[in-house]
Amino acid sequence: MLSLALRFVRRELRGGLKGFRLFLACLALGVGAIAAVGSVTASLMAGLAGDARAILGGDVEVQLIQRDVTDGERDFLARFGRLSHVAELRAMAVKPGGADRTLVELKAADAAYPLIGTLAFEPEQSLSQVLAGRGAAIEPTLASRLGIGPGDTLSVGDVTLEIRALLSREPDKATGAFTFGPRVLVSFDTLQATGLLLPGSLVRHEYRLMLAPGITVPALREAASAEQPQAGWRIRAFDEAAPGLRRFLERIGQYLTLVGLTALLVGGVGVGNAVRSYLDGKLPAIATLKALGAPARLAFTTYLILVLVMATGGILAGLALGAITPMIFGQALAAVLPIQAKVGLYWQPLAVAAACGLFTTLAFAFVPLARASQVAPGDLFRAQISPPRRFPGWLPVIGTAAAFVALSLLMVATAQDRWLALWFLLGSIGSVFLFYGTATAIAALARRAGRPSRPLLRLALANLTRPGSPMGALALSLGLGLTVLVAVALIERNLDRQVNERLPERAPTFFFIDIQPDQAEAFDRLVTATPGASDLSRTPMIRGRVASVNGVPADQVKVEPGAAWALRGDRGFSYARQIPANARLVEGKWWPADYSGPPLVSMDVNIARGLGIGIGDRIGLNVLGRVIEAEIASLREIDWGTLSMNFTFIFAPGALDRAPQTHLATVHLASAQEEGKLLAALGKDFPNVSAVRVKDAIDAANRILEGIAFAVRVTAAVTLAAGTLVLAGAVAAGHRRRVKDAVVLKVLGARRAEVLGAYLLEFGLLGLVIAAIAAVAGTVAGWAILVFPMRSDFVFSLTAVAGSASLSVVLTVLLGLIGTWHALGQKAAPMLRDA
Amino acid sequence: MTDASANGALLELAGVQVSLPSTIGPVNILRGIDLSIGRGEAVAVVGPSGAGKSTLMMVVAGLERVSAGRISLAGHELSTLDEDGLALLRRKHVGIVFQSFRLVPTMTALENVAVPLELAGRDDAFDAAGEALRSVGLGHRLEHYPDQLSGGEQQRVAIARAVVAKPSLILADEPTGNLDGDTGHQIIELLFERRRATGSTLMLITHDPELANRADRIIRLADGKVVSENVGALA
Repeated sequence: MLSLALRFVRRELRGGLKGFRLFLACLALGVGAIAAVGSVTASLMAGLAGDARAILGGDVEVQLIQRDVTDGERDFLARFGRLSHVAELRAMAVKPGGADRTLVELKAADAAYPLIGTLAFEPEQSLSQVLAGRGAAIEPTLASRLGIGPGDTLSVGDVTLEIRALLSREPDKATGAFTFGPRVLVSFDTLQATGLLLPGSLVRHEYRLMLAPGITVPALREAASAEQPQAGWRIRAFDEAAPGLRRFLERIGQYLTLVGLTALLVGGVGVGNAVRSYLDGKLPAIATLKALGAPARLAFTTYLILVLVMATGGILAGLALGAITPMIFGQALAAVLPIQAKVGLYWQPLAVAAACGLFTTLAFAFVPLARASQVAPGDLFRAQISPPRRFPGWLPVIGTAAAFVALSLLMVATAQDRWLALWFLLGSIGSVFLFYGTATAIAALARRAGRPSRPLLRLALANLTRPGSPMGALALSLGLGLTVLVAVALIERNLDRQVNERLPERAPTFFFIDIQPDQAEAFDRLVTATPGASDLSRTPMIRGRVASVNGVPADQVKVEPGAAWALRGDRGFSYARQIPANARLVEGKWWPADYSGPPLVSMDVNIARGLGIGIGDRIGLNVLGRVIEAEIASLREIDWGTLSMNFTFIFAPGALDRAPQTHLATVHLASAQEEGKLLAALGKDFPNVSAVRVKDAIDAANRILEGIAFAVRVTAAVTLAAGTLVLAGAVAAGHRRRVKDAVVLKVLGARRAEVLGAYLLEFGLLGLVIAAIAAVAGTVAGWAILVFPMRSDFVFSLTAVAGSASLSVVLTVLLGLIGTWHALGQKAAPMLRDA
Repeated sequence: MTDASANGALLELAGVQVSLPSTIGPVNILRGIDLSIGRGEAVAVVGPSGAGKSTLMMVVAGLERVSAGRISLAGHELSTLDEDGLALLRRKHVGIVFQSFRLVPTMTALENVAVPLELAGRDDAFDAAGEALRSVGLGHRLEHYPDQLSGGEQQRVAIARAVVAKPSLILADEPTGNLDGDTGHQIIELLFERRRATGSTLMLITHDPELANRADRIIRLADGKVVSENVGALA
């Protein structure tokens, strides 16, 4: 039977793509969206992996915060291979004359730097030439910001740097993916001379190693824990380079993939409609074959193969679209991200996209195929062959369910965050029921509403409720697209509100970091004496890392994804006598101001819950190799939105008082002029103190958010485009019926405006229904995404929802009218003769 | 083997009733048809619109299930067969000519005619189909698609398709209904000539008394019942 089916398929294919254009477009768009997101993510990850050694600066990086290695530790590391040392910290750079000052990322490098990858300077010269004496290289952004260049000078701390070159390529730049300031590269001698290396300064010492032959990373780790157990350093292998950037890319890639999948599901409705419409045209041929003795399964097999052949075409077109996307956008991405996308063909995301396309096709095609093969050959004796409307049988229903299950398993299996994928799937299933259910309920209500006296209103309602009306499918396809759009609009609106609008009226103007304890009082005096400066707040900060939770090493603790960051790498800790103003105690008791006793700690309630711990549990904190065990005395709910200082872990006085520390301070200033005055005064007396301008930090966050929002908007637009295609296809499918209706109405004396009014009403009603459902579903989706995975609060925005929803009404009416305008211009006679 | 084949009848209908459900209750389309048609016989079924002629043809071809009674075709009791069994029976024993031709538009004339043989797994399907088309005067139209043929030519292709597998029974549903007078005459000549050549039984629905008179027997239906049976003027 298969060979016969293939023969029949070949004959069908001679007819070309007629009837399959919408099918191909829907599938190509959906698969293309998923393949494009997957390919771009894969090319970025490959860029990250390919340059991993260069990004890390070697095979292994050993990192210490606040202190350099001892001679013994350096000797220990040197046993394993070639060593290079860099140190990084934030500092204030001042243009000669002190007029312009800005936060920079200062980096000192030894002569061996970089062990791998190449540095490039403009004008071209060697590292030793650039760094000799008080020489420095600066990033071009700093040059343009301060209006300086090679030959000029720049003050950092106690030294005046001679700018010898612009730093046009820094191979390990992506290690600290998101930075607040541009790079200034100097020698260690120069760094030492700046006077910025004070106890507790936030300096990061990184030792990069090119391992000697035969030495492995596990061997190094093993030796380090055996011979240098108190070092407190963090050892990272090259495949762990830029973990923050890696997580960021994976997370964004997953969100966009899910939005792309929505586009495919929306397109799937179009696929189903196209298959149904195509097979409706094939019913006489199928009935004839059955009358000639062909079994129903031959018809099913034949058209299933045909659909699969067409799907292959659509999928290939989508894959081609997806595969070339990194080539088109590679350059643009390279400009935004600190890594180069590695352009190439990535089979895994393409295979996932292809499988998604295949399962979607099957999921939406099984039932129409089964129904068409059920056509009664006896209908050949009648003038019209009606599409069968009875239950298609369990086999196609099971096939459809199996295809959806396969699609779901694929999505969950390939997702980084499987819970998110699972919630997305549940949301999609819920949306399908919601849209179909509501459309069906409205149709049923309209049928029961009785007959309006105005005939054209009656026609509009009848068109929406007649058997085979596309309302359900349209509500689902366009509705899903708009749901995504509403959700995206609401999420954007909320994020924007949080970053920009929720800024408290008296948000700090500056964060000051690296204030030495012995400078604290003088710092306070200077700020208090500065006109216009107010709301000074200062708190100590100790760098350290969580070593254990209830005695379990931090890397073995089971933790919810949202709280995992608290156990990753170094964190800032503080100690205080009073609870900070922007926190509320939700459990336990705050210690007395004069507390002296065993170490106690107060934790952020959300992190504590994420770690599965509470009052009375114990946290081990590693500060410069010394582990301090503290009991959790209270849990706080912190309002980070105030932008005031707070810490996930705040200790009771005593335990950390003598640990190496610096102070952080926040200050509010009324005007830019006062900002300049304070910075100038601080630069003179406190050259080691760096100022982070809150507005600059928010601008940096906004730039990242804008990039993400743009990517999400583009993918959401693809979803809407798929919905529009489905709508256009459904309008086209009903075109002939509309032409007939229009002709009959005109023959009966209806004026063109009246017929147009009926169609306007029909599509307006449809658009309103879809808009209403999408507004509700999109709001629920937006709320769920903000509240659960993003752990943010949610505020409804009528303008965001109304803007997206009104698009639905406009689109539906516009497409509907474009499709039916032609119907109005038809001459009655030819149509009546045909009929 | 049933009575039908034992007494030489190809087709035997006994007490055949067909009722279809509707919103106002079941509609009785055939109300107890008893009929026996012999091998090689040509029978015309006549009657007013709604008499049940097409339904009779559908139940005989196994395209519609009877509500009561039994039908035996070439020794096979139709009610005992499932859908696939009925399809196999049609493939082997029944050729159908429809009023509106019912050719598959994506297949050439040759492919349309070859379909019943291809379904039967015959290796010589295309040779035999070519032969059948030449026998209806369309040897020069083998690779033409239905929309490249005139109405008369399309009906010739349909006749060739109906007889190509040498079925025991040819069912023709108003085969000249969509054709002009001259073309209709030619088609009827062809149909009877092919019937003679293959020795098949012919069951023909028509409104045309002249055409009906060419049959061996005329069966008149009215209101779902056989109301008369006459011997035709010509055999």
